[in-house]
Amino acid sequence: MIRVFDQGIEGAGLFMIEFGDIVPYFSVYTATLFTFAIIFTLLATFSIPEKQMDIIFGGDAYYAKEIKPQDLRFQRFVAIACGTATLGAVVTGDIFNFTLFAAMIGITNIGIVASSRSHHVLNAAYQYGIVAMIACVPLFGGAAMILATTGTLSIWSLAGIGAAPILAKILLLLGVMGEGMAPFYIGKAEITRAQGAPFILMVHVSSLLLFLRVVEIILVI
Amino acid sequence: MISIYQSGLIAAFICIIIAFISLYQETDDLHRLILTDLTEIMALLLIALIATDLAEALILPGLVVMIAELMALAEIYLVKEGIQRKKNSSALDIEVMQTAPPILAGILVLYGIILSGFSGGAVAGLGIIFYSVCKGSDELFAQIETASGYAWVAWIAAFFIFLLLPGQWFFAVMIAGGAILIKVMAKFSLIGTMGGDPGV
Repeated sequence: MIRVFDQGIEGAGLFMIEFGDIVPYFSVYTATLFTFAIIFTLLATFSIPEKQMDIIFGGDAYYAKEIKPQDLRFQRFVAIACGTATLGAVVTGDIFNFTLFAAMIGITNIGIVASSRSHHVLNAAYQYGIVAMIACVPLFGGAAMILATTGTLSIWSLAGIGAAPILAKILLLLGVMGEGMAPFYIGKAEITRAQGAPFILMVHVSSLLLFLRVVEIILVI
Repeated sequence: MISIYQSGLIAAFICIIIAFISLYQETDDLHRLILTDLTEIMALLLIALIATDLAEALILPGLVVMIAELMALAEIYLVKEGIQRKKNSSALDIEVMQTAPPILAGILVLYGIILSGFSGGAVAGLGIIFYSVCKGSDELFAQIETASGYAWVAWIAAFFIFLLLPGQWFFAVMIAGGAILIKVMAKFSLIGTMGGDPGV
């Protein structure tokens, strides 16, 4: 019956709650992702923001930019929320919940990027937000098609039977590509070293883990 | 043979393609934001095609997530473009508040009259509050007072009918119900006039 752990990508089964239709499970693969997400969420929780240095032109001096406490609080909150959404996305055993967590990662990524106030960064955040919103269509559409054709959303029951249509898998992947596109916009707006630097890290981590998880789901179902 | 689900799926994909083309051709940021709302409805359409109870349960979280994204983006747009609320405008200075009041107030008043009595008065009064809050209420005040006075007289008259002609109780109930409707409505709508000029 336990077909999930027979799939090549998953590795040995560590833990499962066999209660009802949707079964949350930990294989070696998802447990690794989970640990990774927890470590980086804790890092984001306890780190202190970097202060950007501005060199005073013509003089032998520089000063560190002040970061307002409310900005810091907001960035930290959004980073922790992003970490929590990532935890949910790598743990859940339900495809629709996965898509919801992916969309939440998208929202919190918008928040992390948008919390620095310069105009070009906000522009990048806005463009990313539009991409993330459009990505909701293939994301939810893929999950809905899997439900409509197989009658279930549980990764546990779908594992190994190959019932999910290939179009739905492609749509799911497209959706995750849209939601996890934030690092591209971070590179575009060059905010890796901008205000709120350690929290930007959460964008990269969540995007990476989201991709790893969707690859697992697509290979398993 | 194509099933109903497949034909619905084809229709949905045609709609999605149209929405994406419109999004591709639009260059103005604000219009693109509005168009993304359109594409999100397409996502709900795909979920709704499942047509089971589960679909209904999935639409709600999907909708919530999408609205959250839309609100976040709208907020970014406001900051990005440096748009701020005008100093002297009230919180209700929204375009829909200029156009909606006659219709909504009309529906509420009509429904209140159908309900009649105390609760009907409350519903109809709510309609008039809404109207006078949105539209302003300069000359409305005196008319409401007059109507309220006549309603009070009718209410007392209904009680006299109860006491003097008990056989006509149904007629008296109707008068009292209508009068209390107008009375409560008038009292309620006074709240709506309070927001306007500082003297009231």
